[in-house]
Amino acid sequence: MADYNIIVIGAGCGGLSAGAQLAKKGRKVLVLEQTERVGGCCSTYEQNGFKFDIGASIVEAPELLNRVFTRLGTTLENEVDLIECDPIYTVILGDGRRMTIPKSLQGTEEAIKAITPADVQGWRKYAALMDGFRNTLNDFFTSPVLTFSDMAGIMKNSPDMLKYGSLFTSSYQDVLNKYFTNAAIKESLAYQTFFIGLPPELAPGIFAVIPFQEHDGLYYTRGGMIGIPEALRRLGEKEGMELRLKTKVKKVIVRNKRAVGVKLDDGTEISAEVVISDINAKTLYLDMIGAEQLPWLARIGIKSYETAMAVPMLYLGVNYTPPLNSHHTLVTVPMEDMNDFWWSDYRTGGFSKHQFAIISWTSQSDPKLAPKGKHVLILTLPPSLRTCGKKSWDEAKPEMLEKYIDYYSKRAIPGLKEHIEVAELATPLDFERRLGTPDGAIYALRQDMMNETVFRPAAKSKSIDGLYLVGASTHPGGGVPTTMASGIVATDLIEKFERG
Amino acid sequence: MKKIVCLGIIGTLFYGYTQLTDSKKRYIKELVRQMPYLVPRYFV
Repeated sequence: MADYNIIVIGAGCGGLSAGAQLAKKGRKVLVLEQTERVGGCCSTYEQNGFKFDIGASIVEAPELLNRVFTRLGTTLENEVDLIECDPIYTVILGDGRRMTIPKSLQGTEEAIKAITPADVQGWRKYAALMDGFRNTLNDFFTSPVLTFSDMAGIMKNSPDMLKYGSLFTSSYQDVLNKYFTNAAIKESLAYQTFFIGLPPELAPGIFAVIPFQEHDGLYYTRGGMIGIPEALRRLGEKEGMELRLKTKVKKVIVRNKRAVGVKLDDGTEISAEVVISDINAKTLYLDMIGAEQLPWLARIGIKSYETAMAVPMLYLGVNYTPPLNSHHTLVTVPMEDMNDFWWSDYRTGGFSKHQFAIISWTSQSDPKLAPKGKHVLILTLPPSLRTCGKKSWDEAKPEMLEKYIDYYSKRAIPGLKEHIEVAELATPLDFERRLGTPDGAIYALRQDMMNETVFRPAAKSKSIDGLYLVGASTHPGGGVPTTMASGIVATDLIEKFERG
Repeated sequence: MKKIVCLGIIGTLFYGYTQLTDSKKRYIKELVRQMPYLVPRYFV
């Protein structure tokens, strides 16, 4: 008899979502996490009295999150103290102009009108299209997409999705060009492509829903983003789920093409009927299982995936009130420069001439994240490869830290440089070492149409029985709501196929 | 006759491609570059 019904490798939002749901269904669940805290990229740490979020700095699509909490017998509202961010963004455009985008669609229309009345009509048409499209998404995110037959089933159940076929075949940039004429408006809506790790000209058009969906509400978790995975942990443990931190899994034990347990770094073996992986799929299949265990086509397939873009993050504790007016400030560049960045500076590395970032002023929403009178600022910087030009990130870090602070002091946050108490730059290499994400890519694998749905590593392994995937590597991809949704998909598949 | 139809289709596709913006060409090239991996990826 196995030690556990279920072993989950990794206590990210996907792993905890699946672990807690399966514990609620009476399964004996063990979650193994290599770091000292839960949440993976949706987590929070403290330094000198300042609390910094490691990666995710807001959460959207609360209805999707609530689906997980409802399955756990409660609601998102009961378990997580969410603070609504309104305005949702202030955008600092490449030409220095500022646009504040409120939650309300009407208010956004006014903001667009102030830049150019010509695009108001386009905004209305875009909003009408995306309003319909986003309604089809939540069922799509929580449905298994293992085969073409599953895809056909989703289309059958959500025939409305077919109406939006053009979003699947065009690029994000095409969508913006179709509805907007003004370069500044397009620039203000284009940054979000980097949430999925691609420039506007390569990102699939479906993701152009993001700037609209944000008007459903952007939320911050009081106490830090770790509040969401902590809530899942609490609910899972209440149902008997066991969590071991600082426990690294070295191998998934496979016998006769079936996952039967894991081997830890210290050599301990733990058996289980089912193994769920919440780690990068390439690490899982190539390092923890071994390519030799896979059929030849799957071997080619898993090796072919490219990692998503990694982003350096700058964590700052400051002793003044920064001259900003939103929880989130987007520092942008024209859409063409975002594309140019991908083809040039992103590859060569170093300090790009195209600087764009998200500034998260988390202590504006929750002042308790910093000592009294002080504030927390977190900058999500332009994406980077694992190296910084010809130097390693470890070598380049002090110089780059100074350059980023200088630049953003001048362009976006006057006075910043003179008021810093704590400054830490987390590089892709740091993310790789701390979280075990190859190349430091927090969204795991690229998210274009060639890496999505049936072409993304399947939630139920097609090579190894008893092995299931959650997290950014599998459908529906990276992000807090979507990785939590992957926990729903895995739970339903395990309930269907692993009834023991 | 078949040859002429084939050449016509190829010619039309080629002409269509040359009329695309550079940006659209890069989008298509990226898709085409990854196409050989679609079948293997389906089996992961």
